[in-house]
Amino acid sequence: MFKKHLFLLIFCSCTIIVHAQDMPEYATDRISASLKNRADAVIRNMETTLDMRAPDNMVLNVKKAVTIFNKSGDDRAALSLYYNKSTSIKSIKGLILNSFGQPTGKFSQSNFRDESAVNDFSMFEDARIKHYVPNVIAYPYTIIYEYEIRYKQNLIIPDWYANPYPDVAVEKSTYAFISKPDDQVRIKEYNFKGVPAVVKSDKYITRTWEVTNLNAFRMEPFAPDPNKYLTYIKIAAEQFNYYGYKGNYKNWDELGKWVFDALIKDRQALSPQTVQEIKTLVKGISNDKEKARKIYEYVQKKTRYISIQVGIGGFQPFPATDVQTLSYGDCKALVNYTQSLLKVVDIPSLYCVVYAGDLKKSVDTEFASMDQGNHIILCIPLKNDTTWLECTSQDSPFGYLGSFTDDRTVLACTAEGGKLLKTPSLATASNLLKRKAELKIENTGDVSGQLTTDFSGSQYDNNQRLINEPYAEQLKLLKEEYDIDNIDFADFKLVQKKNEHPVTSESMQLSIQKYAPKTNNLVYLIPNAFNKTRSIPEVRNRTLPVYINRGYTDEDEIVYQLPDGYSITARPPDQEIKSAFGTYSMHISMEGKKLTYKRKMVLNNGTYPADKYEDLTQFFSTISGLDNSKVIFKTN
Amino acid sequence: MKKIYLIAFFILWVFTYAGAQDFEYGKITGDDVELKNAAFDSNANAVVIREFGTSRIDLNDGVFSVVFMYHVKIKIFNKNGFNHGNIVIPLRIHKEVDDEVQELKATTNNFVNGRLTKTELDKKNTFKEKANKYITLYKFTMPNLQEGSIIEYSYRLNSPGIFNFRTWEFQGNIPKIHSEYEANIPAVYNYNVALRGARKLTSQKSVLFKECFQYGPHKVNCSKMTYIMKDLPALIEEDYMTAASNFRSAVYFELSHYTDMRGLEHNITRNWKDIDKELNDDKSFGAQIKKKELFKDILPQMLNGTTDETSKARAIYAYIQKNIKRNGYIGIYSENTIKTALEKHAGNTADINLALVAALNAAGLNAEALILSTRNNGTVNNLYPVISEFNYVVAKVNIGNTSYLLDATVPLLPFGLLPLHCINGKGRVINQKKPSYWYDIVASQKQTTKYVLTAKLTNEGVLKGKLTTVSGGYSALKKRERINEAGSIDQYVERLDEQMPKIKLANHSIEGLDSLENPLIESYDIEMKIFDNMNNKEFYLNPFFISRTDKNPFNLNDRSYPVDLGAAVDERLTMTIELPDNIVLANEPKNMGLALAEGAGKYQTSTSQSGNNLIFHQVMQLNKPIYSPDEYLSLKEFYSRIIQFQKTDLILKKTN
Repeated sequence: MFKKHLFLLIFCSCTIIVHAQDMPEYATDRISASLKNRADAVIRNMETTLDMRAPDNMVLNVKKAVTIFNKSGDDRAALSLYYNKSTSIKSIKGLILNSFGQPTGKFSQSNFRDESAVNDFSMFEDARIKHYVPNVIAYPYTIIYEYEIRYKQNLIIPDWYANPYPDVAVEKSTYAFISKPDDQVRIKEYNFKGVPAVVKSDKYITRTWEVTNLNAFRMEPFAPDPNKYLTYIKIAAEQFNYYGYKGNYKNWDELGKWVFDALIKDRQALSPQTVQEIKTLVKGISNDKEKARKIYEYVQKKTRYISIQVGIGGFQPFPATDVQTLSYGDCKALVNYTQSLLKVVDIPSLYCVVYAGDLKKSVDTEFASMDQGNHIILCIPLKNDTTWLECTSQDSPFGYLGSFTDDRTVLACTAEGGKLLKTPSLATASNLLKRKAELKIENTGDVSGQLTTDFSGSQYDNNQRLINEPYAEQLKLLKEEYDIDNIDFADFKLVQKKNEHPVTSESMQLSIQKYAPKTNNLVYLIPNAFNKTRSIPEVRNRTLPVYINRGYTDEDEIVYQLPDGYSITARPPDQEIKSAFGTYSMHISMEGKKLTYKRKMVLNNGTYPADKYEDLTQFFSTISGLDNSKVIFKTN
Repeated sequence: MKKIYLIAFFILWVFTYAGAQDFEYGKITGDDVELKNAAFDSNANAVVIREFGTSRIDLNDGVFSVVFMYHVKIKIFNKNGFNHGNIVIPLRIHKEVDDEVQELKATTNNFVNGRLTKTELDKKNTFKEKANKYITLYKFTMPNLQEGSIIEYSYRLNSPGIFNFRTWEFQGNIPKIHSEYEANIPAVYNYNVALRGARKLTSQKSVLFKECFQYGPHKVNCSKMTYIMKDLPALIEEDYMTAASNFRSAVYFELSHYTDMRGLEHNITRNWKDIDKELNDDKSFGAQIKKKELFKDILPQMLNGTTDETSKARAIYAYIQKNIKRNGYIGIYSENTIKTALEKHAGNTADINLALVAALNAAGLNAEALILSTRNNGTVNNLYPVISEFNYVVAKVNIGNTSYLLDATVPLLPFGLLPLHCINGKGRVINQKKPSYWYDIVASQKQTTKYVLTAKLTNEGVLKGKLTTVSGGYSALKKRERINEAGSIDQYVERLDEQMPKIKLANHSIEGLDSLENPLIESYDIEMKIFDNMNNKEFYLNPFFISRTDKNPFNLNDRSYPVDLGAAVDERLTMTIELPDNIVLANEPKNMGLALAEGAGKYQTSTSQSGNNLIFHQVMQLNKPIYSPDEYLSLKEFYSRIIQFQKTDLILKKTN
């Protein structure tokens, strides 16, 4: 993965701190009531200036005054600055003011903790962090500070966010971007109302964006990607310098070409032995797709994913020969390696930059810049049969992209230029869970029988953490998947069909002691034993659109064999619910000594207006109630 | 004479090295290749075939260091075992010389098509990461890893100082077939050696060498101790478990005394008397407690007009709690001095709690420092003092015949209650004047919650009424922390209401939020629809919609370690529901009474009708903070019965 945190720069910062004198302008009683609403902190004034002095010299200066109201707000007073080989922290200084705006303390770089910023999943990264947390005991207080960071590159210009934290209100914040008159830059404003002020002189152009009086907001459930509603500015320079590489780009086409030419092209050589090995591997196979499958399986068997981010800001893959010898690499290295192997047998493939994650996120088709991905996947443009490969997984079926990278626009970097492609989408109907159980209820209330479940589409890897685990461990993990009191499993099998439409099939014998308890002459059974939907929180005064990221379909059918003399005395009525969000049906039928329970739930992905959220709560709440409903039997 | 010694030395050398020795690097046997996980522990993704470590003391240019050599051979069975091919060696950063890894060798052995291939680690693929100001991580990953690979690596690690004699952990998170440690200690050094964990040593040897260590002008004898354990299962952490180090089989070394080059003996840690003196004289411990004069000026402000001892103690506790924030580091030694902590309003645990002891003493109260080991740090041994086992300090104030344990580092903690992470066996009370003594640390309060619901069932099937929740002890602490996190009471209630879509909350009032000594009392008007249809003759009412147990926290089939809840639990519910005139209980409901052996826990319900009122009581108690593994299945059954019972309903019927 790329080093995303560097680019999502956490803006913190200040006002020119000359002398520690009273600053009544920061007295906390001057803050308007509406800004205080829901806010743990208010940015009183923030000035962010990015001065692009040269392609290899950008200076970011941040001045910020922020008032903290309570303990939760302390995090917003904390300052975390990342640095690495091409990013250095030039100065930091700050002051603490009490609620009247009188200084009570100050701090400088020596008060910062210096720590490694290596991600948990990484073996190594060239990234460090300086961290400061003020210790103020009386609220509210105001912290003001100023810092300067120097970048020895301008390929990645940090985005400016007007209010990145929901619990922070903004009284005033400005962003000034300074460049030379003949610098060509592209700028895109997202969710910004108004126009920047532009000041031109012989030497500089300064563009300044300003926001005032932004209220704090809530993180709402089922909300879209924050980039859809937050105010932020992206800037990209045409002429750039990056770790000594110089280049220029105006669009995705040129950027994709530069990435390929500068960072990838020379990394694809293989040793003659490897070339021979691959040729032998696919010998006798005529179909390109089958050859590619064979090579993908070879890569999966040979390599493993290890994240190591060094040099070129984590953008350049290790040479294919390194992966060949070491048998490991990160996403870039493994994609580059697979691509190199495919080239041996003349199968063209595309190195694609994607923003991976469960929340679908596309690159901006209209605005090319280097910082829009965090992962690399491989695309094989076979005729009428484009195939996508996740090269970091040793288990993924050939051609299967799971929910981590499906349904989004990605950048393919090729010798002919960059191309924007769309990854395949996993549709609601194909994201299927299909479960069948035949269970027997004993007079004691014990339940036992056979359960099988098929998972496909985005649900294919629901059971991923059980794969490859030893059997005893699988049984232990199953207790978390099927978290029912006193449940036990035997004869558990997990089979994965890795064809065009991969399916994970799970089957087991199970027993649940006293699942249907008895008191007096009544027996209580919750027929929906395995698939319970939880209700979702209500939100008063919903503001954001309702967004369902991924749809799915669940079908459960359980047949209970009852002991003699059981008759239903109470049961929930059958249900058919249809809503814009999906459908739900529940049917219970009794035939002789057999009770059949059928449940089907479909949740559609999509975006709905904010005021529909109440309906969504209702939808889930109703289903949750029905999912827990009981059948009560009388025994004689 | 000299000659004879030399011979004796030689013979001994041969003898011992034939007995215990590092195994040959690079030798892969047929057994290693054939080894399957089923043969040992079918749950293992990887297994240590053999590991060998040795430590000795080195003297170089007058600088002492401990030289540790490590060598291991691991079989990786499957892909999920690949993470055992990622090696991280933590290195301490000292003032002058840092820990250093030397002579690293690492090899991956693969057996492919009947042929053994070896891939060596290239040193340029190793990384050093400075994690923080105390630790650097030395990292590498094994090349060319496959299912069935046998990885082998060895290195030498130099650490300055003689205090850092290496602890050896026999047990790890994967099983080990053979684990062996050899400690070479010159006779001028004496270490207390402690073996922890349930496993027995397979063998233990001790051999004396004559004149093996050049110590100034003299040659001194050394003893070589060898410890071996075989067939060790993995140590798997479980929920509700205290520190894994309490259970992991390991051997620990603590320097007790040594003789310097002039022949003078120095005690490091021998008995509590020495430690008492040492701690009381330490400028980061005893000297801090003595700084009563720091509080002379602020004492009136701290005491805030209180006169009796208890009120004074409470006032001082509240003052320190509010005025010094924890900085995230814990320890028994003051990091920045209590003076700085008071000025900067920040400090480590010792800064804060030693300041508390000093302030209490300054106010004329009888206060002592109690050092302890936190739950995730493991328990301390009772045999001889090992000061490095302690990692936390709190205050103990004695008023009349009562003692209170105080920790001012947790902002919302009431007077006299310690945070759960401190409740861990015994602590040692360090007194300025008297000898130190052991003290049992028990939670002074339980996790108590009491729900009282008084409601009316309307003819529309809606339950309307008032719910009061009284939280005490740790439950109150948790709630107060949650309210604090929410930002305001209104936002807390809003969130609470939103999380329960079926229940509507209104007219909230919360009492006791700031008076930490008192219970936290929440009350709400609640409204919930419980019957869609009131036309039936019979109704099934499930009274367990408050304080319901849905999942069994003890759902495993067996348990290896004690279940540690930290503090006892007491939860009570009283419901009074006024029924519509024509609805009554259909039959005498079955009540539940469950008890764990020896009063360790109970669950009881009772249901009755009095006039129109349906009255329901429920009590759930877990009276012990710790349950032994033998009690696990009873605990599981206890919860299981509660879950079964809570599935059953009360039956109501219409009278007309």
